[in-house]
Amino acid sequence: VTPTPTASIKRKITAAIMLTAVAVLLITVIAFASYDLARLRKGMIENLSTLGQVVAGNSTAALAFRDENDAASVLSSLKAEPQIVAAALYDRQGKIFVTYPARMADGHFPAVPKPGGHSFEHQRLILFEPVVQNGARLGTLCLEAGLGIFYQRLEIYAGLSVFIIVGSLALALLLSYRLQKRVSEPILSLAETAKAVAVRKDFSVRAAKFADDELGLLTDAFNRMLVEIHHLNATLEHRVQERTAQLEAVNKELEAFSYSVSHDLRAPLRHIDGFVEMLRQTSAASLDSSGQRYLEIISESAKRMGGLIDDLLVFSRMGRSEMRRENVKTSEQVAEVLREMARDLEGRNIHWDIAPLPEVNGDRAMLKQVWVNLLSNAVKYTRHRERAEIEVRCHQNNATDIEFSVRDNGAGFDMQYADKLFGVFQRLHHSEEFEGTGIGLANVRRIIQRHGGKTWAEGKVDAGATFYFTLPKLN
Amino acid sequence: MAVLSQTLPAGQKPMRRRTFLRAALLLLFLSGPFGLRAETTSREYALKAAFLYNFAQFTEWPGDAFAATNSPFVIGVLGDDPFGKALNETVQGQLMNGRKFAVERYRHVEDVKACQILFISQSESRRLGDITAALGQRPILTVSDIKDAAARGVSVQFVTEHNKIRFKINLDSLKQSKLAMSSKLLRVAQIVSPENP
Repeated sequence: VTPTPTASIKRKITAAIMLTAVAVLLITVIAFASYDLARLRKGMIENLSTLGQVVAGNSTAALAFRDENDAASVLSSLKAEPQIVAAALYDRQGKIFVTYPARMADGHFPAVPKPGGHSFEHQRLILFEPVVQNGARLGTLCLEAGLGIFYQRLEIYAGLSVFIIVGSLALALLLSYRLQKRVSEPILSLAETAKAVAVRKDFSVRAAKFADDELGLLTDAFNRMLVEIHHLNATLEHRVQERTAQLEAVNKELEAFSYSVSHDLRAPLRHIDGFVEMLRQTSAASLDSSGQRYLEIISESAKRMGGLIDDLLVFSRMGRSEMRRENVKTSEQVAEVLREMARDLEGRNIHWDIAPLPEVNGDRAMLKQVWVNLLSNAVKYTRHRERAEIEVRCHQNNATDIEFSVRDNGAGFDMQYADKLFGVFQRLHHSEEFEGTGIGLANVRRIIQRHGGKTWAEGKVDAGATFYFTLPKLN
Repeated sequence: MAVLSQTLPAGQKPMRRRTFLRAALLLLFLSGPFGLRAETTSREYALKAAFLYNFAQFTEWPGDAFAATNSPFVIGVLGDDPFGKALNETVQGQLMNGRKFAVERYRHVEDVKACQILFISQSESRRLGDITAALGQRPILTVSDIKDAAARGVSVQFVTEHNKIRFKINLDSLKQSKLAMSSKLLRVAQIVSPENP
């Protein structure tokens, strides 16, 4: 079971409190028990020593006058001390005189008494006390005390410490459950708020503040940051909208300007062309050959300028005109374009490789313009090839876009100009070599952009070119 | 050990040990299963000699009992001496409150001078009344194994019970002699008085 983050901090705090409580308790219990047991041990030794002195004092006459009955009665008084399990009186020569209880197994007591002092042996406290009367040693008393009291006390402490620790743990659990809330609640609230911000992007929520401590400080800082982010976000959005509107306005203005310029340029051009034609019809005979050639050049230039202006008008219309979206069958559209190009294809040896192309959604006329431009380019730049190869493909690389490509084996281009290709009036070849106004690819890019797609090209000088564009997939 | 070395001065230790051991062997033998009747007289008296020495430990004499601070502690034997060497060997080299022991033997009660314990031999049985009267209130612990000696005014009387030596004590005689006997000793003794022999 992996603890959730909320459970973990609570658990950690509770565990820390409990561990501390147990450690302190254990140390206290152990220290107290050790002290008490040491005191008990000392007390036992002292008590036994005192008892030994008393019994030894009472045994003097019995030993001196070898009165076994009296010695036995002195020792039997030890019955009053239940912890005394055995006792023996040694005479002056170190032989056992009397034992308590009266019948003891041989070898229970050492054959030779120790001169004095106590020792712990075989869970017994053993004391040797000299029996002295008036400075003369009469014998030795040996007392054996069981350590029952000691072990009993040890057991009591063990039981008591288990009881105390379990009880304290329960109390600590109860207390820590209540106390940890003061720490964990602000953190959990903060975490909850942070989650709301992260998941729902809701910058309007605020973390609740519980106290003026470090957590309160953290909560305040967090809330201030939220306000700041909220404010920045709003400002940013506003600014983006403002800028977009400004850009759109400027763009529209530019388009309107170029349209009107193109339109207005047409009228004087038509005059030039018309009057040159009239001049040629009426006065051609009076002009020498060079004059006639000049007229020819003026007329051609006027016609070329007219073509440029027409293309420019188309370009600006592409940017301005409303899009009428519908489903377009691309394969049919490509076939239609090829049919219309039939005149340009006369006398050419072109190998067409056109894959099946899917239906797309878009402005029929605009998309047709794209195909016209790309296919006529391909035809145009393969002019010098004996056998032209033109390939139309379609890739569905991802879930959202369809990628179309038109590849030829024509003149190609240098990749370092790949982006300039799509600029207005940008040309990589002389118009003497390949005619054209240099506006076709600019139109392609603009149309595809308006459909939400991208355009790019790959090529190599004299090794052909491939033009790509994407369109959003049909829903 | 401290207690032992108090009673046994350093120089004479080995010898005293031997004496001790000898006495110990005797004691052991006498208290054994053989009983006194089978024992020789000297063994019985060796034990009685040890008892005489022990009486000294449990009894207090008044200050005027001794002529001088360095006077010896005298154990006297009146009449025929039944102890042989035993008594001398028992007290040899021992000290009693810093006093050396001395053993003296008397033929007549008139010979008794400075004496703390006087053993009255069975040979004096017929003269016992005169002897106690002669001693009067002198601070002398009288001991005897004459029959009914305690009832007849002797402070301590040895008796043989179940092959063991016990003793009777006459408290009045003790009081007359101004002697104080330890209650411990009284506990192992049989108390008699002239009215209750």
